[in-house]
Amino acid sequence: MTQFLQLFFQGFALGCIYALVALGFTVIYRASQVINFAQGGMLLIGAYLVSVFATGTRLPFGVAVALAVLLLAAGAVSFQMIVLRRVIGQPVFVLVMITIGASIVIDAAIPAIFGGNPRLLGDPWGSSALHVGGVTLNWVRIWAVIVTALILAGFFVFDRFSRYGLAMRATAADEEAAAAVGVPVRRVYALSWAIAGAVAAAGGLFLAGFPNSPNPSLGDVALRAFPAIILGGLDSPLGAVVGGIVIGVVEVLTSGYAPSWLGANFSDIAPYVLMILVLFVRPYGLFGTRPVERL
Amino acid sequence: MSAVAVSRRRGHRVKGRTVLLALIVIGAVLLPFALNAYWLSTAVFVVIAAIGAVGLGVLTGYAGQISLGHAFFLAVGAYTAAVLGGNDHLTAAIWLPAAGIVAGLCGAIVGPTALRLRGLYLAIVTIGLVFIGQHVWFNVPAISGGPGGRAFPPVQFGSFNFGVGQQMTLGGVVIDHNGLYYYLSLLLLALAMLYVFNLQRTRVGRAMQAVRERELPAAVLGVNLARTKVSAFVISSFMAGVSGALYASFLSFVIPDQWSLLLSIQYVAAIIVGGIGTVWGPVLGSLVIFALPSILTSLFPQTSAGGVPIDDITSIAYGVLIIVFFVAEPRGLVGLGSRLAGLARLIGARRRPPRSRIQETQPIEGEEAT
Amino acid sequence: MSKAKLRSLGALCAAGAVVFGLAACGTGSSSGGSSKTSGGIKIGPGVNASTKTISLGVLTPLSGPVAGPIGIPLTAGQQTYWKAVNASGGIDGWKVQLVERDTKYDPQTQVTQFNQISNQVAFIGESLGSPTTAAIQPMLDQLKMVTGAAAQDSKFVTDPVMAVIGTPYAVDVANALDYLVAQKGLKSAKIGIIYQDDAYGQDGLRGYNAGLSTYHFNNVAEATYKVTDTDFTGQVQKMKSAGAQYVVLTAIPSAAAAIVGTAASEGYTPTWIFQGPAWSEFLMSANGLPSGKPTPVAKALAGHVWVLGYQAQWGDMSAPGMAKFLADTKTYAPTQIPDYYYMYGYAEAKVEAAIISKAIANKDLTRQGFLNAKLNLGTVDEGGLIPPVTYTSTPGPAARETAISVVDPATPGFLKLIRPYFEGAAAKSLTF
Repeated sequence: MTQFLQLFFQGFALGCIYALVALGFTVIYRASQVINFAQGGMLLIGAYLVSVFATGTRLPFGVAVALAVLLLAAGAVSFQMIVLRRVIGQPVFVLVMITIGASIVIDAAIPAIFGGNPRLLGDPWGSSALHVGGVTLNWVRIWAVIVTALILAGFFVFDRFSRYGLAMRATAADEEAAAAVGVPVRRVYALSWAIAGAVAAAGGLFLAGFPNSPNPSLGDVALRAFPAIILGGLDSPLGAVVGGIVIGVVEVLTSGYAPSWLGANFSDIAPYVLMILVLFVRPYGLFGTRPVERL
Repeated sequence: MSAVAVSRRRGHRVKGRTVLLALIVIGAVLLPFALNAYWLSTAVFVVIAAIGAVGLGVLTGYAGQISLGHAFFLAVGAYTAAVLGGNDHLTAAIWLPAAGIVAGLCGAIVGPTALRLRGLYLAIVTIGLVFIGQHVWFNVPAISGGPGGRAFPPVQFGSFNFGVGQQMTLGGVVIDHNGLYYYLSLLLLALAMLYVFNLQRTRVGRAMQAVRERELPAAVLGVNLARTKVSAFVISSFMAGVSGALYASFLSFVIPDQWSLLLSIQYVAAIIVGGIGTVWGPVLGSLVIFALPSILTSLFPQTSAGGVPIDDITSIAYGVLIIVFFVAEPRGLVGLGSRLAGLARLIGARRRPPRSRIQETQPIEGEEAT
Repeated sequence: MSKAKLRSLGALCAAGAVVFGLAACGTGSSSGGSSKTSGGIKIGPGVNASTKTISLGVLTPLSGPVAGPIGIPLTAGQQTYWKAVNASGGIDGWKVQLVERDTKYDPQTQVTQFNQISNQVAFIGESLGSPTTAAIQPMLDQLKMVTGAAAQDSKFVTDPVMAVIGTPYAVDVANALDYLVAQKGLKSAKIGIIYQDDAYGQDGLRGYNAGLSTYHFNNVAEATYKVTDTDFTGQVQKMKSAGAQYVVLTAIPSAAAAIVGTAASEGYTPTWIFQGPAWSEFLMSANGLPSGKPTPVAKALAGHVWVLGYQAQWGDMSAPGMAKFLADTKTYAPTQIPDYYYMYGYAEAKVEAAIISKAIANKDLTRQGFLNAKLNLGTVDEGGLIPPVTYTSTPGPAARETAISVVDPATPGFLKLIRPYFEGAAAKSLTF
């Protein structure tokens, strides 16, 4: 039983990280139909920024994280304003290609600047853990869950109750109509990238926590969040979060319990298999809505 | 006046394009003699990739089905070649088409998913296809050599062997291993391009383009969605299978890790960079995506001494170039070509009588103006 | 328009058919490179008789994730050795220079880069990586180019042109098991293995299975992982619930550290037996030195980890070649911190110097000449830096010896030798 609980907890914590990544993807996609292939790169930058501020300066860890979040959000917005705004109106795959270009740049620049060896994250938790009834709960992972919950709560308050949240939903529903009634669509785009950047910083921070460390291959993890987006349904941030957690739990549970005839490391594709099975039954994900098209 | 002028202008354009095409063909045939081994082997990789890119161009460019699963079909083709050519020692005349056929069959099986899913949903399921495929390759050592990979057979037609160290002498001219692969791939690429060029003017091709634009109206107008989409997948996978088989054969050793999402993304990038929905687009795009890294690398001096890591710079430059390119020319290389052609026409038009009132829309590459 | 295009393409197809159909004498192999003679010595490509310089190719990742931990230090080790040799007059008056190319650890890039330099070099001084070296193996075999393959995969040891130094992964693991069972008498110890899902991991598994069949010990658990995994709870659970007391890890450093750390967090501390590449001094501290700030996993690693290797402990002056090695490093690579890939590169260059020396003595500096020199090299003394390297015309690994160190936070390089080179029974029986 403790084995199951241990696996479940780790999976849940990993799922929270996936949820953050999926949220970042979904926010941008909802606003502009762009699949941001640079999300993994943003995760990577987030982890390294935290590492640089936390180990390179005497700032307290919380301040370092706040700085990293702000810087990454600002960076994401700058990218959107300087580069993507020039191609507004172009087919969506053009913007997707640009994000692919950005991810190539990031993946090469990080080892170029920081070297390929792992760094210290500089977090105060390290390897410390809480031991509850035979189950080990690393503090890093506990904080990952807490912070994710806070971020999500904050996001939902923003989404439902603030003007910009409304603006984002309006833009997602129908961009032209929203612009026609005065919704500041450009600002909505910028905002969606800022949120994605901030969320990526948080995701990167926890991803690089114990027992991992900031190293150049962290960005690949973002790919694993894709099933989360689909599972939850593309236009539902709640769905992205639920999807992320489900994916994380499935992945870790499978790695613990999968029989060997499924092949080595079946846990790596278990999320995709699950996603495909769900799509057979519900082609728009668990929470997604069927789009209505006007002929 | 208008009809005559239009047809005369069309005549000029036809002549111009024919000349250009002939020049390209001659250039392509003579290329190996102008290149050293580094550039020639790069060219071989480009031409082989272009075959697969043309296939993806049919699926994503013409039929509008977003697929990131191309690496899977490349792998299917490659492993078919490995089993038939490597394990069973059959000639390339069998395994090369077989690679395409088996991959095409897989495309027929995957195709129906496009009936239920659209857009990003389809794209991510195709990503899943790549990962599940890799999982399979890792776990069937008899076919793929397991995680350690396996060797692939060189192309062999009876007594003609294209393997390393082999060469062919044609009336005094020596064609080495790289050259042999180059010509074979070039021939297959030409066939693929010819096929696609004809396809887009047939009912099936037009049906695909209708599906790409607006699916529901196309269905209302009588397009058989199922047949169209599945056909697109089959054609695309067939070409991918052939391309994958050639690639593995030329590279001579492949680990399953290489049939990755990154590879799929490179193919998608190639058709987008080249220009969606065109015949030449995927070829030009392949040139950029698959040759540019080599070009960039050769521009910088090589050193591993400390200080500025020059080699990372080539990767960074590559990414930056992609970004800059798309900001400047979103229609891809073909769009760039059209722009240049338009410029040329503008310069030439100064000498001609003023245009007629009839709006002459710029025909899309390969199609005639309606 | 369509007709014209059709015609042109049709012409191309016809031309293509003609090209293949009209082949004058089918396909035949290309003749080997022409060789010249200069001053009584046969000269081949990559050898410049007027400047008395021999060029060696280096195909290694110089950018990307593998470059920092492995590619760059390994090449630096080679450079140091050759610089030292050149400064003291070269090998019988011949200087050696390296022609380096970045492969980004990608087989396709390796093929094209090889094509770029193959005419300029006498042989390949360094080819890093298993899939990458395998991709150029047919060409190397055909051109008879000796290759310093920095890839311990067993498949290279049976290829005559491959000059692999050191001990294959499989042999390492077999020796480790010998140490446990035969030398420590722990026949009933519970042993497990976690290995990476690739060729490297497969090779480690191979040695593990060889040990199993030789010593019949208690194999309780096996698990794999993928390089992109970030969570290892499942794998650790498998070992823990089976009660494994010794776990072999054929992994890369980031995964190895994560596995050890995860286990330690759960209070599970077996003895971890790291395959050589699993180890990196950066797992212990931020700057790789004992004086640096310890990483969160450092505590879990110290004392619980054995590292299998075939290299002398950095700074161990009982190895005769250590003094010169350290002196050369100080002169030509003063900022180099203790690093075993660097030492590997240096040792590799040393073997190649012996090959070159023999080729000069045979007055044959063609590709075939270097190959003959390598196949008749006999045993090269590496001054204790690595076990003596033996190349003969019989295919097989250069060495079958392994040394075992334990991770110690206070030692430079963090590794303290607990068992010097030895060769166990299972290792002896491994065939390649």
